[in-house]
Amino acid sequence: MTAPVRDLDAPVVEVRDLRKSYGDVVALDGLDLEIGRGEVHGFLGPNGAGKSTTIRILLGLLRHDGGTARVLGGDPWTDAVALHRRLAYVPGDVELWPNLTGGEAMDLLARLRGGTDAARRDELCERFDLDPRKKGRTYSKGNRQKVALVAALASDVELLLLDEPTAGLDPLMEAVFQECIREARAAGRTVLLSSHVLAQVEALADRISIIRDGRIVESGSLQELRHLTRTTVTVLTGRPTDGLAALPGIHDVRTEGGQVTFEVDGAHVAGLMRELAGLEVQAITAHPPTLEQLLLRHYGDGLPAAAEASVR
Amino acid sequence: MSSTTASRGARRSGTAAISGTGVLLRFMVRRDRVRLPAWVLGLTALMGYFVTALEQIYATPEDIRAVAPLLQGPMGALFGGPGYGMEDPRLEHLLAGLYGTYVLVGAGLMSLLTVVRHTRAEEHSGRAELVRAGVVGRHAQLTAALLLTAAMNVAVALLVGLLMTGQGFPGPGSWLFAAAVGAVGLTFAGVAATTVQLSEYPRAAAGAAGAVLGGSFALRALGDMTSEHGNVLSWLSPIGWGQQTAPYVLDRWWPLAISVVAAVLTAALGYALSVRRDVGAGLVPPRLGSARAASWLRSPLALAWRLQRTQVVGWSLALAVAGGAYGAFTGPALEAFEGAPEELLVVLGGTEDIGAGFLAVLALTFGLTVAVYAVLAAQTVRTEETSGRSEPVLAASVSRPAWLGSHLGVVAGAALWLLVVAGLATGVGAAVSVGEPRMLGEMLLATVAYAPAVWVVLALAALLYGGVPRWLPLVWAVVVLALVVGFFGPMLDMPDVAGWLSPFEHVGDHPLEPVSAAGVATLTAVAAAVAVAGVAAYRRRDVLGTG
Repeated sequence: MTAPVRDLDAPVVEVRDLRKSYGDVVALDGLDLEIGRGEVHGFLGPNGAGKSTTIRILLGLLRHDGGTARVLGGDPWTDAVALHRRLAYVPGDVELWPNLTGGEAMDLLARLRGGTDAARRDELCERFDLDPRKKGRTYSKGNRQKVALVAALASDVELLLLDEPTAGLDPLMEAVFQECIREARAAGRTVLLSSHVLAQVEALADRISIIRDGRIVESGSLQELRHLTRTTVTVLTGRPTDGLAALPGIHDVRTEGGQVTFEVDGAHVAGLMRELAGLEVQAITAHPPTLEQLLLRHYGDGLPAAAEASVR
Repeated sequence: MSSTTASRGARRSGTAAISGTGVLLRFMVRRDRVRLPAWVLGLTALMGYFVTALEQIYATPEDIRAVAPLLQGPMGALFGGPGYGMEDPRLEHLLAGLYGTYVLVGAGLMSLLTVVRHTRAEEHSGRAELVRAGVVGRHAQLTAALLLTAAMNVAVALLVGLLMTGQGFPGPGSWLFAAAVGAVGLTFAGVAATTVQLSEYPRAAAGAAGAVLGGSFALRALGDMTSEHGNVLSWLSPIGWGQQTAPYVLDRWWPLAISVVAAVLTAALGYALSVRRDVGAGLVPPRLGSARAASWLRSPLALAWRLQRTQVVGWSLALAVAGGAYGAFTGPALEAFEGAPEELLVVLGGTEDIGAGFLAVLALTFGLTVAVYAVLAAQTVRTEETSGRSEPVLAASVSRPAWLGSHLGVVAGAALWLLVVAGLATGVGAAVSVGEPRMLGEMLLATVAYAPAVWVVLALAALLYGGVPRWLPLVWAVVVLALVVGFFGPMLDMPDVAGWLSPFEHVGDHPLEPVSAAGVATLTAVAAAVAVAGVAAYRRRDVLGTG
């Protein structure tokens, strides 16, 4: 067992060509992922894409079949115990011990990691509006999640692994959560945030990886991803716009009430602007792609499968 | 007018409360398409096995007469029944009066588990909420569960009746015995209908109903041992009601009326209690606990102890009471053996020390009981993993061996403690009732000597769990083997290898024989080695996901 080394420039999470199957079902099919120190990394994908499998491999709970995975410079399987002192984890589906109170569970998990900051814990309970005196079985799903969140956020760790951590929280608590993640980033912590909530990732993530069918289909900063994608433009012009559809990089032109809406590839915005200049533009709106659009583009052909997965 | 409206309203709400029962019942049958025939055919097969085995062992009436004294005495009463027909027993008396007891117990177990599975377990998982949101009355689920259980009991009774009459045993007695099996089952369905209202937990509900079943067995054992054909204690026991029908001897049906009335009353109590609580809640309201963990709760070992503490306390109390009761019976038992024929005393270790033979049987009983605890505790460890609660612990700085080792260590230690409790309680009871202080030490040593055997069972459970968790229940085979070899081995003609395979046959039969130091050492070493292999296997596999 080699002692994990602390190298401030090395990536906190480094995954190459990760493979994992459950019997005949391929969960991860050559996944690559790199997360730099101090970065909040959004991990997006539909149900069953392999997000939880990836995180559980990073925790050493699952053994991978192929490829390499490094966490904080160590091997997640063999160095699990040493690494877990430096990271905290919030599962998507939090189960608590029915006869332990939330407070007892938080203290226990913090102590098992090596330390507890009682003041920080109490402050977080306050902010998340959580009563730590209730027994585990009496908490709702959202409150169980808060227990796991408080336990993770109160610990002094370098890496937070959050697997859809806010699925059961209301919008008010979602805001508190976002605040806490910003504080964690300000404190120099690294965060892997797997999520369905696109607005949350947009608001928090420095970089994003989109996973689908066990591999990363897109990775980069939000800006970089947008660069790869199309901007939606709506214009109202004094002259006919018939020539627009013939321009390179213009897609999906539709006319509605005199306004023309279309999408333009990032690389062809300059050409479009030259064309529009001669058309007596009276009004123009252009907005970058939302993550919904990003996802739809990547999963558009896979929607029936995703819908099926969510029905199950 | 108004009274008509009121009564119509009442009638409507009366049927509304059970609307959807039919659909739910069909759904339950669909869910139990494997489990239901397994129980029904399994219980019938158990009876069939007894019939075949005894027909081979006791080929002639002389063979039966030879064992009659043993069966007639307290041993027969302790593990069998009130001993009707044992003065001049025929095969059917042995089957209905002794071995059939375990079919009665089996029917009770089947019924209480089925009711819990379809009521409280459904509520606990939250599935009942989905169902109740449909067009389903508030009593539909319990009604459907009780109907299903009743149907299972009728099926078992029919098959057992056909089996016994098919084997040529007298018709009236055969059908009476079969009806007793069904009636005992019905009673425990009613008992479970009440216990599922009390706690939020399916395990607690099954545990409470199971405690009634165990108490019924113990009550009738005490009653049957104290007086011929039982006394008032036997008549307080639901199992006793079934046995007091005395099939093939008195052939009386009326004790079954008590069973049916008890079933109806307990079921009615269940219905009454169910409207006094919310869906998913128990009658005992949850309380607020501590906002902080106790300072000792800081290691995987402390967590394992905290999670198993309640169970250990419960088992300790139960074993202390049972041990004291059975121990206190040693004196009367020895008197009953006075003047017993030679062949019986040979079975119990000779005329020299019948008391020692009796204590040895009690020690084995408690050894096996603690083995049952160990397997149940191992199953709760698996539940920790399958419910997803082991994951956050392993995601903290806790190694796999530390997690599993802590749980196994707590169970192994608790098993030793429980054996000490049972040995002490039985020993004190025996020493006082006989007036022989040395019996305390003997009984304690005899019981504690089974600790390595229990550890072997626990280690096998750990190996199965570490390798392939869903195979964990296979470890019950070892417990059943040990039970059959230990209690029926001398009577049934079993191959030597069966005895060799039971860990409980290697520690000596103290106080009949000295404790085998070599056996204890070997079993301990085997347990340690198998447990280490189990932990190693657990270390190499994936942690199970939830769902």
